[in-house]
Amino acid sequence: MAKVQVLNVAVLDNPSPFGNPFQFEITFECMEDLPEDLEWKIIYVGSAESEEYDQVLDSVLVGPVPAGRHMFVFQADAPNTGLIPESDAVGVTVVLITCTYRGQEFIRIGYYVNNEYTDPELRENPPLKPDYTQLQRNILASNPRVTRFHINWEGSADKMEDGENVDPSPNISGMLPPSCVTGKMPPLGLMPDNSMDCM
Amino acid sequence: MKLLKPSWVSHNGKPIFSVDIHPDGTKFATGGQGEDSGKVMIWNMAPVLREEDEKNENVPKMLCQMDNHLACVNCVRWSNNGLYLASGGDDKLVMVWRRAALIGPSTVFGSSSKLANVEQWRCVTILRNHTGDVMDVAWSPHDVWLASCSVDNTIVIWNARKFPEMVTCLRGHTGLVKGLTWDPVGKYIASQADDHSLKVWRTMDWQMEANITKPFSECGGTTHVLRLSWSPDGQYLVSAHAMNNSGPTAQIVERDGWKTNMDFVGHRKAVTVVKFNPKIFKKKQKNGSSPKPSCPYCCCAVGSKDRSLSVWLTSLKRPLVVIHDLFDKSIMDISWTLTGLGMLVCSMDGTVAYLDFSLDELGDPLSEEEKNSIHQNIYGKSLAITSTEAQLSTTIIENPEILKYQQERQNSQANVGLGGATAAAAAASGPESSTPKLNSVMNGESLEDIRKNLLKKQVETRTADGRRRITPLCIAQLDTGDFSPALFNSAPILPSGSSVSNQLTSQLSSDSSPGQASSLGLRPGHDPMLTSPPAKGLEDNKDGVMKSTLLLTSASKIEPMKALDSRFTERSKATPGVTSAITSIDVKHKEDSSSDSEDKMASINKNLSFNKRKQDLLMDGGEVVEKRKKGRPRKDKMAPTFPQPFTQITAPPAEREPSRAAAPPPPAPVTVLRLPTPSPRKTFSLQVSMEPSVFLEVENEVSVVAGSKLSQLRCSRDGRDWNTLLPSSVVTAAGSSDVLAVACEDRMLSVFSSCGRRLLPAIQMGSPVSTLHCSAHFVMALTAGAALSVWSVLEHFQGVPVVGLSNGKSYCFSSSTLIADKGDSMVQCADFRSCLPSHDASVSSGPLAVMQGRNLNAGRLASRLSSTPHHLQQSMTLAFLENQLASALTLQSAQEYRYWLLVYARFLVNEGSEFRLRELCKELLGPVHKSAASSWEPTTLGLRKRDLLREVLPVIGENLRFQRLFTEYQDQLELLRNK
Repeated sequence: MAKVQVLNVAVLDNPSPFGNPFQFEITFECMEDLPEDLEWKIIYVGSAESEEYDQVLDSVLVGPVPAGRHMFVFQADAPNTGLIPESDAVGVTVVLITCTYRGQEFIRIGYYVNNEYTDPELRENPPLKPDYTQLQRNILASNPRVTRFHINWEGSADKMEDGENVDPSPNISGMLPPSCVTGKMPPLGLMPDNSMDCM
Repeated sequence: MKLLKPSWVSHNGKPIFSVDIHPDGTKFATGGQGEDSGKVMIWNMAPVLREEDEKNENVPKMLCQMDNHLACVNCVRWSNNGLYLASGGDDKLVMVWRRAALIGPSTVFGSSSKLANVEQWRCVTILRNHTGDVMDVAWSPHDVWLASCSVDNTIVIWNARKFPEMVTCLRGHTGLVKGLTWDPVGKYIASQADDHSLKVWRTMDWQMEANITKPFSECGGTTHVLRLSWSPDGQYLVSAHAMNNSGPTAQIVERDGWKTNMDFVGHRKAVTVVKFNPKIFKKKQKNGSSPKPSCPYCCCAVGSKDRSLSVWLTSLKRPLVVIHDLFDKSIMDISWTLTGLGMLVCSMDGTVAYLDFSLDELGDPLSEEEKNSIHQNIYGKSLAITSTEAQLSTTIIENPEILKYQQERQNSQANVGLGGATAAAAAASGPESSTPKLNSVMNGESLEDIRKNLLKKQVETRTADGRRRITPLCIAQLDTGDFSPALFNSAPILPSGSSVSNQLTSQLSSDSSPGQASSLGLRPGHDPMLTSPPAKGLEDNKDGVMKSTLLLTSASKIEPMKALDSRFTERSKATPGVTSAITSIDVKHKEDSSSDSEDKMASINKNLSFNKRKQDLLMDGGEVVEKRKKGRPRKDKMAPTFPQPFTQITAPPAEREPSRAAAPPPPAPVTVLRLPTPSPRKTFSLQVSMEPSVFLEVENEVSVVAGSKLSQLRCSRDGRDWNTLLPSSVVTAAGSSDVLAVACEDRMLSVFSSCGRRLLPAIQMGSPVSTLHCSAHFVMALTAGAALSVWSVLEHFQGVPVVGLSNGKSYCFSSSTLIADKGDSMVQCADFRSCLPSHDASVSSGPLAVMQGRNLNAGRLASRLSSTPHHLQQSMTLAFLENQLASALTLQSAQEYRYWLLVYARFLVNEGSEFRLRELCKELLGPVHKSAASSWEPTTLGLRKRDLLREVLPVIGENLRFQRLFTEYQDQLELLRNK
């Protein structure tokens, strides 16, 4: 069971000029005191075609985290325009917020981002070389895509939590009466085994 | 009968495997399959019961959903006190949930449904032991244990007072165990499994009582669950799937001899679930007709794989009603309301049905008292007897002082904020009331203000390697941390008068909660809605929705969206940086060692359980070992040990003790003389006095606790009974109208008052008692060594010096009399914790405490381990407390005397023993009018007895039952003060 639940992410300063820093106000809840820090990252997807153009805008450690409900603002500089393919500068892309604990990612929050010229003239006839000073960034804050991963929350010495993730041994699931199998088969093949997409 | 299928109760079409109605009837829980996890949901009952509530948008339907189970949830069950919810699932786990009071509503972030969780239920403990899917869970009467059964063929009994402690694991089934039910009396637990058997286990020793196989021999393992049920009168156990003449039945098993002569027939497919109505009914009296005495009967609902439901009354040969085609798939679970008139049924098809019966259909439900008296008639005093709190709450308060104490009690309960009533009130007020509360302040600042300045205010540092580190702002503390056994113990184990113990524990917890609040920086009395997401955020979101629609239509590039989609779910494997490398290494390492580590785990588990068992053994049988350990350091301090018999040390200056009529002869040389001593018998009784008529009954070796045999002393005086326990066999007894004396095999002499209060600490005799005689308030004993002693119970021993022995016993000398101070097994079992005032520390320094050392603490722990029947434990506790009082008196430790006196009074109040309470008050008050003949002394150990009484009275006032007693003594005290 995840010890950290993200309760809300508020997108601040949105929409804003392309060069403004990203600001996310993150509220999360922790079931018990965490001995280690959480690591949060903002990743800007430069191009849908390739992960090559992903930029980690920033990564911060958050801690100490006692049991309870906490909030903080995660601010990160705008992406380096030099690393974005010119053809992908305008239009829809994605920004990701990820959180890892002990080096394991347990939540990934994705937002669609639309980069657009505010000037109707420019919108009609976009310049060949993107003019980032005129671009406006609009994060689709109402529609986050949240993916949660099961991870081992205990130290590496303690594999208790890990045991939960192991699929029931085949002989036990084989022993289940046929009547109950139909209702309980998880949907297969659509997602990584250990992910729970909440959409 | 009304029938309703609330369509909004659903797990998005996924099967619902279990349903359970909260004891207070305001909500119910469902468990089943979630999206790709298990799901537990808590629903509001009001919209099911009333149409107007269903239509009213302000009445929430769903209260909370929990996705924490990793796989399908097979069973959800509320504890009897309603504080906890237990769930068991295919992920082999049992989770126990409790409502978090400090945290307001919240949504599941990112979930498509915008429904907020109105109530917050948190997992407070995860119980891991099963190696297969958990199929059923069940709370024992009074929530002492929680049982879970699994496809790993075992049943695990958990200590519900000390999660995650395991009491035992019941092995014996050779197939998947699919159903559990507790005997309402608490004597048995029954389980049904795919191995064609139903087994009944004793809770006394957790051994198998009965193994019933015949009705199940033809059964195939075709049902998902086998939820069996025990009738509320405890007389019948009804199984799920059984076969009779190759037809499916629900087998009725009689408690008496576990006979299987009857069954419920008629379902066309296997019976999956049987659930008895919690009420016992009697025939409805028709208007005008003369009341005819009729036999009480029970009501039972049976659900089957044939999708139909039948409801039976044990007084009728045919079912009361059969409902076909209620569902599209098999019925999975049934739950009755506590009133006995409503029932929820859930099905594999993912729907829930509610059935509402009228009194005309079922009959008149018996009241709790009537039910209790049925139990009492059949089983004597038992666990099943519920507290008569409900009845007491309607008692008229006759004394304003009482009212004060009652109100104080209620206030302290309300302050805790966890109490069902306040929680329910908060729930009832719902979301509409939460809106104005959003602007609550924290440290003089609203959450809104905090959010505005969060970026500037939050503490940001750089780590040694130059990375940014943000200290998050804590906006609310979880209250799940205080899963204290104390709170859990507030569940009434006592059959009566539990009110005060409740009050006490709540005091304890209320003591701790302000502390929490202050550490939070919250003002006391802050409201629980404080932390709900502020309105601004919602507005933001709304704006966002409007813009997003615009945005999407104007978006020119559609194709990359699909490519982008994949990015949401992929792990950050391509993310540059050190951590990703670590992750991959980590994963690899895991894969390499997974089989390895599993083996290790298994062996560790084995070791753990082995150790645990060892400890249990120590606790149970190794009392002596434990004591010796503790005694050792003391021995060093106390200097010389006494290898010689005690008789040699008792050289008495006879003249100093006025109550002594004769002194024992000088020791050593004369001991050739041996008087005959009575031989020990298993039981004996005698009449000690004619007027008033007092009978004494002794039963030796009634029970073995912590390695020592306990004897019971019962006394009946003018029809009033009392009993007490002694740690050794009673050899002889005597009594007068005022006192009772018993001599034990271990040469201890105990003296009791006519109401059963211990008057003197146990007196150690030099040799076995030969003859014992009592007259008025004098006790005479003649020992085998021909020593004659006479004590007056009105005199108090003033014992010094004290000798502590390595076996945990201590002795002190009072001129000629050797007094044993403690060292019985009573302390191991006495359960007086609920009576302890919260300021425990004050007594830790008295001479008695020094003498007893940590043994006392050991006793507190041990008391939980021994599964002694309640009445026995009650007697032991009483005996122990009286011993403490007498010892404190002997040691002249005034503070400790006062402390134990209050504990004792509290215990008496809790247990409702009025005689002893009255006797105690009488002794403390003394004669109201001065008379020369009175030998009453106004002080004890320098404490004024009437002051003590003043302290005791508020304790008495907390239990409404004693308001007459309270008033009586309150008035007399008042009278005396005015004089």
